[in-house]
Amino acid sequence: MELLAQTLVNGLVLGAGYAVVAVGLTLIFGIVGIANFAHGAYFAMGAYASYLLTSHGVNYFAALPISVLIVAAIGLVSEVVIIRPSLYGSSHHGSLIVTFALGQAAIAALILLLGPDPFPVPTPLGQRTIRVFGLFVTEHRAFVLACSVLVLAAFGAWLKFSVKGQQIIAVAQNPRGALYAGINVPWIRTLSFVLGVAAAGLAGALLAPISTVYPTMGSSALIVGFTVVILGGMGSIAGAMLGAILMGIANALFETYVSVSWTPALGWILVIVTLLVRPQGLLGRAELHRH
Amino acid sequence: MTSPGRDVTGARTSGRTFREVLYCVATVAAIALLGYSSSDAYVLTLAGYTCAFALFALSINVILGGIGEVPLGQCLFFGIGSYSAAIGMKHGLPFEVASLVAIVASLVAAAVIGAITLRLTGAYFSIVSWGLTGVAMVAATNLDQITGGPLGLFGFPPITIGPLQLSDPRIYFFASAVILLAAILVLVAVRRSPFGAAMESIRQNRHLARSLGVDVTGIRLKAFVLSAPFAAIAGCLCVPYSQIVTPEVFNVGNTVDGLLMVLLGGSQLIVGPIIGAVIFTLIPQVLDLDPNVRILVFSAIIILIMVFAPGGLYQLANAVYGRWGKESGAESSR
Repeated sequence: MELLAQTLVNGLVLGAGYAVVAVGLTLIFGIVGIANFAHGAYFAMGAYASYLLTSHGVNYFAALPISVLIVAAIGLVSEVVIIRPSLYGSSHHGSLIVTFALGQAAIAALILLLGPDPFPVPTPLGQRTIRVFGLFVTEHRAFVLACSVLVLAAFGAWLKFSVKGQQIIAVAQNPRGALYAGINVPWIRTLSFVLGVAAAGLAGALLAPISTVYPTMGSSALIVGFTVVILGGMGSIAGAMLGAILMGIANALFETYVSVSWTPALGWILVIVTLLVRPQGLLGRAELHRH
Repeated sequence: MTSPGRDVTGARTSGRTFREVLYCVATVAAIALLGYSSSDAYVLTLAGYTCAFALFALSINVILGGIGEVPLGQCLFFGIGSYSAAIGMKHGLPFEVASLVAIVASLVAAAVIGAITLRLTGAYFSIVSWGLTGVAMVAATNLDQITGGPLGLFGFPPITIGPLQLSDPRIYFFASAVILLAAILVLVAVRRSPFGAAMESIRQNRHLARSLGVDVTGIRLKAFVLSAPFAAIAGCLCVPYSQIVTPEVFNVGNTVDGLLMVLLGGSQLIVGPIIGAVIFTLIPQVLDLDPNVRILVFSAIIILIMVFAPGGLYQLANAVYGRWGKESGAESSR
């Protein structure tokens, strides 16, 4: 019983990290309308930013928001310079290929600039475990959980209660209607993209002390992000959070009770099953044509 | 439906057969020239490998330029081809028979996978097909009794096709080039058939095609199944080159390389992927780039292509050709 509870807790902590990445991804998909295959690269950029800052003496807690801002700035530039022109170009599968290429280019650039070796990121929280209701959680992971929950809650509140947030929801529901209502749709799209990749960067910076910082750390984040988003429903933020928790718990349970070496396939199998059985995911809107 | 002097796609056919026989003869001559003029084993083997990978790029283009989906999972069939050839040879089958097994396996896999996943379109289809390669890679790593696990399968007896020894670089190149040429001819014939026209209509507008009575679901499935054996043969042909088959054949990066070849040359031209494959293989040889610089450069090229010329070099060539005052657009070179 205790193993089960501990597994569930591990899954929850995993899920929290996934949730931040996934929410960013689903935001971009729902509003900008593209499957952002570069999402993992922004995750890695956030981690690298936190490494660079902490290795120059910046306190980790201060490095976190600065890393997020750095990734947001890079996201802004890439959206305006690359994504926007390719989106409104003639090829309808362009966004997939362009974002994939962007991600690859970013990772290659990271390797060229900083080398392929992993870097550690120190966290003031150390590796001490704390006991919560008789279960063990390392301090930093508890911090990741708490931080993720806080950020997501704050984001949800901002979406609901601020003008810009409401505009974003409007564009997600009906871009043309939003345009007619006077909302600056292109800039809302840019804002959503920036917020989405900033979320990925935050997740990267949060998870950096746990996984160390290496160039391809983003690819598993990307894959997990997509599996969670599809599970929860593309374009649904609540769905992304729900999907993340389910994914985290499923992964932890599978790893503990079934097999470690087959666990990487679990996510993909869930995606395939979801897309075939309930393509809109758990909380997404049912559409007639998945396109 | 077809008017005299035009084929199913509306392109003019007068004098075309003569022109194309000429192209074929010229190509065969070029292959022979390249094969016999060079005695550098490295160049010949690389040329052979380029032909094999170009075949893979062709299979990708059946889906991308044919029905308009991005088949991130095409390396699944490539991997099935490689592993079937390798496992077959490990069990004593000659290479030709193992390759036939590979073709059949890929056809079956494509039929099953296509039936299930082709109801999805766009990013969803791409992600699912990517996911399948992920599952395949994990399976290949774990089922080590069959696949040799992460280390893979290696140590094959000398690979032959009939009397031809593929360990001879020149013969390897000729074999790959001839197979590639045969594939091109098959695909050109397909493109010009009513089936090819139906595929093109689906690529342009799926819903409109359906409203006109085109069997969209069936055609998509047939196109998918058509593309698989080309990828499988490419996978088989890469075994003599690399002499080892590991789970890495299922890496989505292989499909991305193939996609880049297609985009470089232009997805609307049957030989576009070939042109892309040649450029893709030549540039690193000529420039001797650090692998990461190569990725950076190629990714930048992809982005530039998708933003400015999604039709690749073919589109650029047409644009330049058009500016010189000659006919453009109406005369299709398909």
